[in-house]
Amino acid sequence: MADFEERRSLLGDEDERFVGDREPQRGAGGTGGTGAMPAICDPRHLLHRVVVLVFMCFLGFGSYFCYDNPAALQTQVLQDLNLNTENFMRLYAWYSWPNVVLCFFGGFLLDRVFGIRFGTIIFSVFVCAGQIVFATGALLNHFWLMEAGRFIFGIGGESLAVAQNTYAVNWFKGKELNLVFGLQLSMARLGSTVNMNIMGWVYNKVAGLVGSPGYTALGGSLMIAAVTCLFSLICALVLAYLDKRAERILQKEQGGTGEVIKLTDVKDFPLTLWLIFIICVCYYVAIFPFIGLGQVFFIEKFNFSPAEARAVNSIVYIISAPASPILGFLVDKTGRNVVWVIIAVTATLAAHMMLAFTFWNPWIAMSLLGVSYSLLACALWPMVAFVVPEHQLGTAYGFMQSIQNLGLALIAMAAGAILDTRGYLVLEVFFCACICMALMAVVMLYFVDYLRGGDLNQSAAARARLQKEATSDAE
Amino acid sequence: MAAGTVKTRRTFLVIFLFFSLLFSSSGQSSFTRQLIVQLNPGWSAPAPPGGDLLHIRAVGDNDTLHFLFCSQGAPTLLLVHTNSSSSSVKVDWTPFLARNTTGSLRVEPESSVLSSTALVFSRVGDVHLKSAQTLNPHTQEVNLSLSLSQLLEYDDINDTASMTSDLFPPYELQNLSWSRMNSSDPFAPLCGSVVNSSGSICLQLSAFESEGRGQSWPRLLHTANSSQLGVWLDGVSPRAARSRFMLELQAVGGAYPLSRVDVHRSIDDEFTPSIFKASHWVSSANGSSEVVGFVRWRSVAFRRSKPALEDATPCRNSAPRPQSSEAAASGLIRAFYSNVETFGLNVSFGLAGEPFYNSTRFLSWTLLMGVGSPPVDSFSALVVAVMAVGLGAPVLVLLVGGVWICARKRAMEPTAAYEPIN
Repeated sequence: MADFEERRSLLGDEDERFVGDREPQRGAGGTGGTGAMPAICDPRHLLHRVVVLVFMCFLGFGSYFCYDNPAALQTQVLQDLNLNTENFMRLYAWYSWPNVVLCFFGGFLLDRVFGIRFGTIIFSVFVCAGQIVFATGALLNHFWLMEAGRFIFGIGGESLAVAQNTYAVNWFKGKELNLVFGLQLSMARLGSTVNMNIMGWVYNKVAGLVGSPGYTALGGSLMIAAVTCLFSLICALVLAYLDKRAERILQKEQGGTGEVIKLTDVKDFPLTLWLIFIICVCYYVAIFPFIGLGQVFFIEKFNFSPAEARAVNSIVYIISAPASPILGFLVDKTGRNVVWVIIAVTATLAAHMMLAFTFWNPWIAMSLLGVSYSLLACALWPMVAFVVPEHQLGTAYGFMQSIQNLGLALIAMAAGAILDTRGYLVLEVFFCACICMALMAVVMLYFVDYLRGGDLNQSAAARARLQKEATSDAE
Repeated sequence: MAAGTVKTRRTFLVIFLFFSLLFSSSGQSSFTRQLIVQLNPGWSAPAPPGGDLLHIRAVGDNDTLHFLFCSQGAPTLLLVHTNSSSSSVKVDWTPFLARNTTGSLRVEPESSVLSSTALVFSRVGDVHLKSAQTLNPHTQEVNLSLSLSQLLEYDDINDTASMTSDLFPPYELQNLSWSRMNSSDPFAPLCGSVVNSSGSICLQLSAFESEGRGQSWPRLLHTANSSQLGVWLDGVSPRAARSRFMLELQAVGGAYPLSRVDVHRSIDDEFTPSIFKASHWVSSANGSSEVVGFVRWRSVAFRRSKPALEDATPCRNSAPRPQSSEAAASGLIRAFYSNVETFGLNVSFGLAGEPFYNSTRFLSWTLLMGVGSPPVDSFSALVVAVMAVGLGAPVLVLLVGGVWICARKRAMEPTAAYEPIN
């Protein structure tokens, strides 16, 4: 994720302890104590770190796999539990509610309260327990239990992502870090894609075993999905062990997130940052709830089969996996983030309008959506680092995540209600309206930034030159 | 430069208004008719035996639509279009009640009749929509009559919703005893109770004075040239736990048979959420594709009387097939038409995987029948307004801002360049 990379490079010089701990030559223990260890067991050796990387990537797999279970099984959930769409979308809303508050405290909890290792295990347990409670609710046909399960799942899910990034920062540095973040993101997308395409088949098999489709079959499928969370929990335990072992061998301190959250910083946020927040909220509420409701939309409007509908729904994630590193590289090389954001928002608007007002093949629109979604993520999140001083970055990102989750929770329920009463056209028009608001915000951001000197929209070369001048001035 | 900005704004406002007017005027041209209702014309009280005849005259400026809704035999709706605003219906009741004489129901003057269509509801169970067209050699008549002839029920044990599954004996609608119509409330439902069951099948006719939209789902758009007929099954006991229902309709018409069903896909599902298809059973004039009469419905039925989105169940229809003169099951058809060319169609409710009839024991379906072309849905004002504002505002800000920035640059330019020293 480019945002963490930007954050780290700005924090790096300041936080000597943070950087220094990963350089065992400078550490207190030096090379003492390692002895003759096979390469795969040596925490400094690349091979060992690749093994750790594998576990790190699968740490988030279960959470991303299970997040979109409702979307992958939308028709079954609606029919077996007799829900209307508004209630169905509450499953997504309950995931987002705890993260409105938790985004501020995730870093704090990982650094001060639990420590990275124990914290990761705890959050993995929450993810696992949440999914099991969710599946149990389906088995017993109690919707409130399913909502509670999603709530518990939500407590663990987002914080686990923070933990995953912290592990990455602790074990990898420099150019490797970009690759690692890219891989983690790709694994997350892979989890979502596999979920979309496989859960329907799992459900049919379970329904065959149970005898007929119904909430028992649904509960069974969700329990099978919980196995991935169990797998992630095992990865968390293994990572904790390997991290502790590395700490003992290399005698370094437990890493931290390096985030400092101070809520009073909010009053210092500049106008450009608030505009970035608005773009973030208005944009993502037109993506995730849409994917949540996408399957039935493609079945009803475009006459797709359920399997086809799930496949086209997952194309956003499939494209995002390879596109994110490439587009991130592109944005890094050219700079001019605001222009890229404008392009991404306009492309998303075009995709939604295609889906709303035409019968053109939705593969086109969804592919466009996937590319523009990746582009926006690569261009928008680093902008925060350009407008906010380093010591406020943690607060800024925490706030951004928090209001994003608030927006998602509210809009998920609104989308369900709109669909129930007015249908898909009005729903798509609503999403177009959200994107138009994001477009308004980014156009205003362009002008505000232009009038204030154009810091956000500099080309990469100009920014690098300025940074060099700044550091040479400081010397 | 301020004047330039104002001009840009004004131009944009004009363009915006132009487009919004364009959108709003894309609807149907609206005209109104005056409705005059007669129950059992020419028959003095009490009510005639065997069923009632409801006659609604929808009088326009220079034409009249006669809606005749009759429960003698299978319930039938007959629509006659004349080119005079003073045409009337004459019934010879004795031969009409005997159901064996053509011409016992006439529209006078005969030469003014442009078209007529009749729809017969003959059977419940086996959905078999028959569209019958009668050939009247005297005039270019488009007779549109729709009859519900049969209600059929089949046991969908394997949940495949194939209409070839085991069919139970059909409910012949001509054999049901129908409720009496009331002149004070002519648009009240006509209900017939099904034998051996506490439930009933009901039909409700609505005629309209002007353009509008139905109040409850599927909220079909109607004009003064069309009438809406709602059909519902309420509480009829299914003969198996997994049975589904089918409805047989027959249409009898004049020179232009209701011979084909066009399926229209529309992007607009505002009024029937998640249903993007409408079916038009049309009769077209000889040689041209111009539609003369139609029966229109959305491919959805509802499983509850006040439905929510999850109560919608899709419905399918078979292709219209020419039929023998079985449409003679209706007293109105026999009275009005001489020789009958009938087309029949089945509408089946519920596809594989959908809940069975037994889950709610209620099914409602609505159709629209009229002359001319079927009305076409357009966007509601809300959608147009949201899109206009949503797209217009950023463009406006971009234009205004861009113009302002250019203005500023131009104003600042002279001071930016260095001036020569001497």
